[in-house]
Amino acid sequence: MQTETYLEEFKNEGKKPFTLRDVAWIAFVILGSFYAWTQYGGLMDQYEIGILGGTTVGLILLGRLWPSLQTLTVSVSLMVMLALWTYNSHGNVITANEEAFFLKFLLSSQSAIMWMSALFVMATATYFLALYNKSDFTYKTANFMVWAAATFGLVGMMVRWRESYIINFNYGHIPVSSLYEVFILFVVLTSLMYLFYEQRYKTRALGGFVMLVISAAVGFLLWYTFGKDAHVIQPLVPALKSYWMKIHVPANFVGYGSFSIAAMVGVAYLLTERALKKNPESSFASRMPALEAMDDLMYKVISLGFAFFTIATVLGAAWAAEAWGGYWSWDPKETWALIVWLNYAAWLHMRMSKGWRGAPMAWWAFIGLLITTFAFLGVNMFLSGLHSYGEL
Amino acid sequence: MTESKTPTSANAVPKSMKKKQPNQILNFFGSMNLAVTLLMMLSIASVIGTVLKQDESTQNYMIQFGPFWAEVFNSLGLFHVYGAAWFILVLLFLLLSTSICVTRNTPSFLKDMKQYSEKLSRAALQHQPNNTTFEGTVSLERQQEHAVALLKHKGYKTKTHIRDDGSVTVAGLKGKWNRLGYFLTHISIIVICIGALLDSNLLLKYRELTGSLEAETRTVGLDEINKNSWLGPENLSFRGSVNVADGGKTDVLFLPYEDGYLAQKLPFTIVNKQFRIKYYDTGMPKSFESDLILTAPDLDEPIVATIAVNHPLHYKNYAIFQSSFADGGTTLKLKVHPLLSPISNPLELDSAINKVEPLKTPMGKFKVEFNDFKMHNIIPATDEEKALTGHKMHNNGPTIIFKVRNDQGKAWEYENYIMPSLQEDRLFFMTGVRESQAEPFRYLFIPADANRKKDRFFKFLTLLNNPIKFMDLFTTQFPRTPDVSEKTYQLQTKLIQQLLALFRSKGFNGITEFVKSNVPEADRKQVSDYYFGQTSFALQTLYLEVLKEEGVIKTHSDEISEFDKTWFEDALNTVAGLSAYGPPMYFEVASFKQIQATGLQITKSPGKNVVFFGSAMLITGVFFLFYVRQRRVWIHIKPNAHTDLESDSTTSSSEITIAAKDNRDLPETTTEFNGLVNRVKKFNNNNNHA
Ligand code: HEM
Repeated sequence: MQTETYLEEFKNEGKKPFTLRDVAWIAFVILGSFYAWTQYGGLMDQYEIGILGGTTVGLILLGRLWPSLQTLTVSVSLMVMLALWTYNSHGNVITANEEAFFLKFLLSSQSAIMWMSALFVMATATYFLALYNKSDFTYKTANFMVWAAATFGLVGMMVRWRESYIINFNYGHIPVSSLYEVFILFVVLTSLMYLFYEQRYKTRALGGFVMLVISAAVGFLLWYTFGKDAHVIQPLVPALKSYWMKIHVPANFVGYGSFSIAAMVGVAYLLTERALKKNPESSFASRMPALEAMDDLMYKVISLGFAFFTIATVLGAAWAAEAWGGYWSWDPKETWALIVWLNYAAWLHMRMSKGWRGAPMAWWAFIGLLITTFAFLGVNMFLSGLHSYGEL
Repeated sequence: MTESKTPTSANAVPKSMKKKQPNQILNFFGSMNLAVTLLMMLSIASVIGTVLKQDESTQNYMIQFGPFWAEVFNSLGLFHVYGAAWFILVLLFLLLSTSICVTRNTPSFLKDMKQYSEKLSRAALQHQPNNTTFEGTVSLERQQEHAVALLKHKGYKTKTHIRDDGSVTVAGLKGKWNRLGYFLTHISIIVICIGALLDSNLLLKYRELTGSLEAETRTVGLDEINKNSWLGPENLSFRGSVNVADGGKTDVLFLPYEDGYLAQKLPFTIVNKQFRIKYYDTGMPKSFESDLILTAPDLDEPIVATIAVNHPLHYKNYAIFQSSFADGGTTLKLKVHPLLSPISNPLELDSAINKVEPLKTPMGKFKVEFNDFKMHNIIPATDEEKALTGHKMHNNGPTIIFKVRNDQGKAWEYENYIMPSLQEDRLFFMTGVRESQAEPFRYLFIPADANRKKDRFFKFLTLLNNPIKFMDLFTTQFPRTPDVSEKTYQLQTKLIQQLLALFRSKGFNGITEFVKSNVPEADRKQVSDYYFGQTSFALQTLYLEVLKEEGVIKTHSDEISEFDKTWFEDALNTVAGLSAYGPPMYFEVASFKQIQATGLQITKSPGKNVVFFGSAMLITGVFFLFYVRQRRVWIHIKPNAHTDLESDSTTSSSEITIAAKDNRDLPETTTEFNGLVNRVKKFNNNNNHA
């Protein structure tokens, strides 16, 4: 009888109950994808339909793993629908973004991206304020701002996707094909990954540090918009017209985003450690997560980034094999991806096999970001090659 | 391997207790330190490879770094890093290091994947990273039963070991795939390297070393290519390119090799029916496509396919890619204007791109090589134009690019625009000239006449070249007046003739220079003012005569239009620039028929699938490594001796030791361990109260 009790107990616990919310979520994602397919399926080749299917499954699983993503998805969908509906009711002309109220001030891709930029910068300041005044409310505000910014960023990207078709049907493409567009992808993905870790590991004191990278990227984005008119939607060069882009680029940016988070956690680690060395009772250190927790987070984020960067590099090679006839040409962008990959492979070896921890790894993670930044930006600025999108 | 019993795998044994492995060298090559050093070396080499432009001409490097450093860098292989011996050596060491690491770890890891270490003593358990000991209150059997059920529930596989002294260990293991992750990642590196090796040109290098292969460095016809530069079907892998003109065909491919190329015979023939470029409304290219027909002896039906960027054609283990385009021998009808001729006698010439034409002229023998034709020359539009048309880009129309070489071999390269383009509101025919590839083109702007042609310019120029006709004209226009003596008049006309000749050869600068070297300082200003006045006057007369011949004006005293005035100034600038234009010929394209060529890249890459198979292993392995944690738990139950004597077996007391080990210590390890301990404690407590 006793035996049965605990066996019964085991049977029931641990299984996540399947709630109504889960059913609603799955239905929402499937219906949404189906709707997208009925609307735009005619423009997709078989691979792109495969990608849509994969995205559907992936989104369902991710949403189950991380329920906040469900709220985000629903908000983004509603806002995008509103934007598309407004364009539609204005005869699907691009100038509607100057006429229709919602588009002009909120939902046209340019407005949404401006909202995103403002919110990210404000979130950075608010996170640091929260670190200073230790107020729970301030932290919640900062956290909400990041969610809102990510929402606007995603809306901006989706609407931009549609706008590229509205401007000229021939120009239409997924907005991950110019330096401007991938910067938006970068800030959105990085912020979402950070939000995930913040929720899971209760590391909100790190928010300001991570948002610093994002704000820097936003600063670049704004300079690029106003200084260089980079936001203007351009048609694609033939080399970029491929379904590979839809998976290669996002995978890459999960990598870049992770490495950026790791670097900023590294900075936070080093500052905390220094504060503790000076004064073991340091009030700054008492507000920060434990050193071991940061060290561990750094490892987790780098592992995630490394895994995705590996995938991205392999996808890139597969694409190169199809577009240029060779999976590896020692082109600068390729080579720098290899450098980034080797660097983190060495980092992971040192940690996993040699058991290195703490300050040296934090420094290394930070230097890793410099290398990553060069691979991401520097190559486009200083070296020429086959990856000639978005020269400065 | 006699020392396979060395306890590397025994989880309980601390690292410091490892027996020293006898083979020091093997140890060094398989060491982590060497591996990380090699990874870093590879990174640094790659940085050099991207920062220093690779595989350029020796001449360019000389210019960039000077002869000394160019030589040093060259001997270090820095200009061909990825093919340098030391780079290959680093790769080989990496391969060696990984292989040793894998073989060394294989036996122990395999064991580790299977074994539960259920026989570890209690003392050993108490040395594990997580361990605790507490008093149990439930009978041995029930305790054991619960432990097995709990661990199974938590996803462990279990193995129970009963000792002679009556104590029991339930050992649990989960996540053994993590170890597989280690294998997959490292073996994948070896697989990828082997794949890359299959596609490398190592065999060609070997053949070159043994003297049976040599790169062809000359640009010559197929039948003149060095016999030692030909490759046949015995070549396992290659990646090369070839241009095929519209309507043309090929069964030969060119592989870039060292400073030249090799010719690869293909087992099939490719016909290029047509190459197409489509454009966006911005003028940017939208797509590159070729309609191809592939025939091979063993094909019943030829393969007909259209390839485009990102959409290659696969045939057997060959792949055919759209990679570029070029001119395929556009035919040209040319008029060669001799720029010094006193009469209008342009030479008609029928030629084509990629042809070389000899030219015999009074100035000597020349050869013209027609190198390229471009249908579009897209440049960024000016701001005003952007505002006017809304287009960011501007098309200046077709150009031909050609070289004129004299019999000493000196060459001038030209770029001639076929249509006039707008510069500051006026139309000009641009023609660029340079004497070396390293310089940019210097442009001459030939003003278009009212009919958008060059006729007026050449009429004006021939007149300027013809002193006899000009002097005739001058003397009829301005006959000697009675107040001027015959001698003065003679001197005056002579001066004008000389001034015009000076102007024709060197422009107004020529006159300034002449004055500088022939007139004393004090008089220079006065003399040069006079000379300039006379020259302008003469040129104007000349020009008015041209206009009169055109019928634009009736007499020399008629008013001339603003357009014609500006045209005159522009024409004078152009004439002044002719002295730096090289051999005195202008090549006018009267008409052309464009023939394009598609640039195909053809590969045979037996290593590709190996590389991608390795990549798939790598990705799988990485996920196993990071997202499968290998964990072990031991629940050791040791009944207390005295309790055995009691009659009620359900409440007997025992000592429980729980230990756990993760192959990587993470914060969650301890949390999970504590959860497990609490479960066992709760079970004991509940049953105590029951
Ligand atoms: C790029 C080429 C690589 C080389 C040359 C290399 C080399 C090595 C070497 C020499 C060791 C030491 C083995 C020993 O101590 O016996 C090692 C261990 C290890 N490597 Fe790599 N590795 C490479 C790639 C990777 C990758 C991509 C990963 C995946 C992230 C990885 C993960 C590991 C792990 C986890 C260990 C420790 C195994 C253990 O002792 O538990 N390696 N590697």
